[in-house]
Amino acid sequence: MKNAFTKLVVTALLSGALSLAAALPNSALSGKVTAGKGVSVVYIEAIPGKTFPAPTENVVIDQKGLLFQPHVAAVPVGATVEFLNSDKVAHNIFWPAISGNKKMSHNMGTWPSGQKREFKFDAAGVVPLLCNVHPEMSAYIIVTPTPYFAVTDADGNYKIANLPEGQYTVSAWHEGMKVQSKPVKIAADATLDFTLSK
Amino acid sequence: MQTRTWLRILLPGSVLMVPVCLLFLSIDKSYAIPAFSRQYQTSCTTCHLDFPKLNDFGKAFKDAGFKFPKDDENFLKIAPTLLGAEAQKQVWPKTVWPGQIPGMPPIGLRMNNFFQMTGSNRNQFNSLAAPGTLPQVIPGTDFETGFFSIFTAGNFGSDIAFWVDDDISVAGANANGGLGDGYLRFVNIGRFLKLPKDALTVRVGQFELDLPFTQARNINLSPYDIYSESNVGAISSVLPLSQNVNNLFTFATAAKGVEVSGGHTYGGYHYSVAVLDQNTSGLSQTSSPYVPSATGGANGGVGFASDSTFKDVYARFSYRFNLERNAESRNGIQAAGATGPRDHTYLNFGTFYLNGKSQQGLVGALPNGNPQLLYAREPYYRAGGDFSFNYRTFNLFGVYMVGHDNNLLPVDSKGDLIPLPLGSTTVPVGFVTSVPAKFNGGFLEADYLVLPWIMAIGRWDGVHSSADRINGLAFNTGTSYFGPVNSERDRFTPGIQFLIHPNIKASFEYQFRPKQSVLVVTDPVTGNQQAVNPFRVNTALIGLEFVY
Repeated sequence: MKNAFTKLVVTALLSGALSLAAALPNSALSGKVTAGKGVSVVYIEAIPGKTFPAPTENVVIDQKGLLFQPHVAAVPVGATVEFLNSDKVAHNIFWPAISGNKKMSHNMGTWPSGQKREFKFDAAGVVPLLCNVHPEMSAYIIVTPTPYFAVTDADGNYKIANLPEGQYTVSAWHEGMKVQSKPVKIAADATLDFTLSK
Repeated sequence: MQTRTWLRILLPGSVLMVPVCLLFLSIDKSYAIPAFSRQYQTSCTTCHLDFPKLNDFGKAFKDAGFKFPKDDENFLKIAPTLLGAEAQKQVWPKTVWPGQIPGMPPIGLRMNNFFQMTGSNRNQFNSLAAPGTLPQVIPGTDFETGFFSIFTAGNFGSDIAFWVDDDISVAGANANGGLGDGYLRFVNIGRFLKLPKDALTVRVGQFELDLPFTQARNINLSPYDIYSESNVGAISSVLPLSQNVNNLFTFATAAKGVEVSGGHTYGGYHYSVAVLDQNTSGLSQTSSPYVPSATGGANGGVGFASDSTFKDVYARFSYRFNLERNAESRNGIQAAGATGPRDHTYLNFGTFYLNGKSQQGLVGALPNGNPQLLYAREPYYRAGGDFSFNYRTFNLFGVYMVGHDNNLLPVDSKGDLIPLPLGSTTVPVGFVTSVPAKFNGGFLEADYLVLPWIMAIGRWDGVHSSADRINGLAFNTGTSYFGPVNSERDRFTPGIQFLIHPNIKASFEYQFRPKQSVLVVTDPVTGNQQAVNPFRVNTALIGLEFVY
């Protein structure tokens, strides 16, 4: 009898653990960001004690038709961005600061049509891209502290998948709006909405 | 015993050198096209350094027929309206039919206002009023409005470009209701003749001549004096020199005709040859009740623009050396800088020449006394050279020009010279060649774009015309602006401009003008007239203009 009880307890514990283990990689955080026209970026802030390897695939931002394409991109810290010039005019890319830190300004210079240059972003923050030849051109790179982020669709809907269980701080960014942060506990799929303002 | 000749004495004592109001205010045209900004959804600074001054990309845009030099269709944010389906090209494969028009009317509008300041010397001109009459009031400060102008430019596809600009508020510079330029330009028409690309372009209509540094792209508030200089010969009853020259042609006047050109203004060679109407009388177009003109039937239409059958010819050639070491950067439209594209470092040399023949008609007589119309046909030319050096945002450039008009003096039946101006009693029977009327001068200017919204300017203008001085002295009306104390009409004009926005500009310039005098005495020893009370004519000028 004692052996049967032990088996029952162990089975129950194992089942619970298995259930829990099954829930951990499938948790997703989704929601909607209300912030006006254009896309937003939702991301998990830095997790104490956790670091993540740099992604292996580069992100490409193109200059075409006197426009940066895409207008908003999100990359995790450590990522390399390739800047391409597909226009038959000369362009330049520079950013005056990263999240307001002017010491992190940088000018990529000029390169011919069809060629590209790379830059590795080792610090998280908001990078406003400008062209000093065509002042109307602009774009944003959101360098996120973790690989858990999403760019919303045109309606503001987002989904961050494969979130491990835990307590996180989630932030939402939209061009021209104040960044908003909220805490969230992930134990299963969760929903979190944002309404941003200036 | 010699008699002293005095004009009214204005001010005893020493010469004063203080700012004086100028009655003459030159409004220069500004040819920035906000419509392009709208069509391409791009800032004015894509093409302009400090509107209307073009950067290298703007020059390439203009050379290409007001479109992006490459892949224009990929940059247009407002699609053109096709005047026929694309499949029409299969019906007429070897024509430019049917073409297109801009998807939205490419219209730009411009308005400017001015403010100028004078000094107490302005009241010295009161002596010019006839005795017993009130002199003109010249205020110490004055607000003035400029022109409200409309301009439209673009292309119709098939490398056919157009431009029209008009001062619609008043009948401004150029006749015909203030029309400035109005032309069609057939770009790279040499492709039909298998010529190299951009070797041959044709422009037809009314246009500013292909001058080295045009008034249209002049960012200054006041124009270049040498471009405004006409050649009016000296007519003096006192001095022995008389010149029957009354040529009112200036380079600032728009030409009517046809021009062929080729090359680029942003690198390499550039040439132009224009055939244009002859009009040295300065009269506006006149209609004839007997002969219909192209613009209407007899007693209708605008009339004839020429004052003789002769056609003037203007030619220009220039070569620009881009000085970057890297060949790809040197041959590009813009140079590849370490912090982004920029204008080339370059050196440009050019030369120009205009040939004309003015015609002055007189009611004369044959040697037998029968009435005869006489025409003094006096060939003239203008010739000059220019240079431009550019380093980053610093530009130093200048022009030197000479003008020469043949001089035919009328003679009577005895072969004696008839004093000028002609009276009604003596009838001329012919002409003899005499001393030609000449002038020379130019300008030198340095522009420095300190910041993208601040332009510092230093400029020197010079016009040397002894005929202008003699005319001023001889008529004893006091020397006007065009009759200075000395034969030189040099001035220095420093200035600064602020771009409040890329389409709104505040400008300031101070014109250190040459000396004038309203008191002229006859030297009792030499008998020559000389000014004994010269004063400097200076003007402080502020302009505020916007385009949209």
